[in-house]
Amino acid sequence: MNRWCVFAMAALFQAAWIGALPAQSGHQDPSWVAPDRAASMPNPLAGRSELADGGRKVFEQRCTQCHGDDAQGTSRAPNLLSRRVQAQTDGALFWKISSGDTRAGMPTFSYLPAPERWQLVLHLRSLANVR
Amino acid sequence: MRRFALVLIVALPLAVLRAEPAGAQERAYFNTYDHYLEEPGNLEIAVASTNGLPKNGNAAYSAPWLELEYGLTGWWTAELYLEAITTRGDGNGFTGWRWENRFRPLRSEHRVNPVLYIEYEHTNEASRIQKEIVGSGAIEYEPIADLRAVHTHELEAKLILSSVVGLWNISENVIFEKNLSEAEGVEFGYSVGVSRPIGTLASGTSCHFCGENFVVGVEAYGGLGSTEDFGTAEQRHYLAPIVGWHVTARMTIKASAGIGLTHASDHALLRVGVSYELPGVRR
Repeated sequence: MNRWCVFAMAALFQAAWIGALPAQSGHQDPSWVAPDRAASMPNPLAGRSELADGGRKVFEQRCTQCHGDDAQGTSRAPNLLSRRVQAQTDGALFWKISSGDTRAGMPTFSYLPAPERWQLVLHLRSLANVR
Repeated sequence: MRRFALVLIVALPLAVLRAEPAGAQERAYFNTYDHYLEEPGNLEIAVASTNGLPKNGNAAYSAPWLELEYGLTGWWTAELYLEAITTRGDGNGFTGWRWENRFRPLRSEHRVNPVLYIEYEHTNEASRIQKEIVGSGAIEYEPIADLRAVHTHELEAKLILSSVVGLWNISENVIFEKNLSEAEGVEFGYSVGVSRPIGTLASGTSCHFCGENFVVGVEAYGGLGSTEDFGTAEQRHYLAPIVGWHVTARMTIKASAGIGLTHASDHALLRVGVSYELPGVRR
């Protein structure tokens, strides 16, 4: 078979999938729950509110595309200021940022150093306080 | 024309260095894959080059490639590669394309995170990007025109295992490759890498040269023979320190200097690449 035929068939196959698959969902998945051990972890940066600025920067770089500039959610990802999210412990938020959820399209952010992920949690809390 | 070039030279770096939102993690490795996939709906465009310094007086070469990486879902990333070769005196030309898919079967992070990789390659014998090294034997240093006339169809599979230990990423890839054009058996290869960011806390202000924007590490890769030839004499192995610089949240520049460890290896493989991520191509 001509190589370009193979290439065209492969391209068509994947184009079809691109059209058929949802990229991400803005709905929260109730089955996505942090393990108890992770949820009970305290934020080692708690009380160091000056570090929330770094969290804001990471949030702007990594999170606003899906969660929106103001963290109030988009069609792709849920509102992070909602009662349901803010009621979760620092440890649970840290676990969700670190672990991701491939089914819902939430990326894994474990490539960020742990202190940066805790800074993100600080920033999420500061957003809720401002609100 | 000169004015246009001047505008490009001045405006492009300024546009790139502007602080931008959105971005995923571009791995600093060239050969080794970790468990981080492209974010769903994002398209990453990368250009890179493998520059080889061969032994025995063979001509140095540069093998550039273009990489288009697209996040189909949270668990599936597809990539298309177009590759070429240019040498000092032996000729140059297009060397083929590759279509790869990576699947992450587990929903969330674990101690060891597996990713399944499958790739179809339609290349010719002049291909020297060496994104993976399998089997045994040195590169063939014949005129590029002759090598380009020999086409190969190959199917490649990888088992990618990747872990996060403290600040370190540790990734291991086991490679299986079957040449569909010739009876060569199944060829084996490996690639392992460790890397870590230099900084641990994000500064509150925008900065391009902060430690948090740099990743350093080392990777080792090579061939492990085949089902028909498992001898170690002619295997190629390389050890390569790597560095990655996240110039902005969307743009990464990376480089590595691979040192040949065996008789069949080139003296060195110097690689450099730049990638740019376009967020939300598909909403």
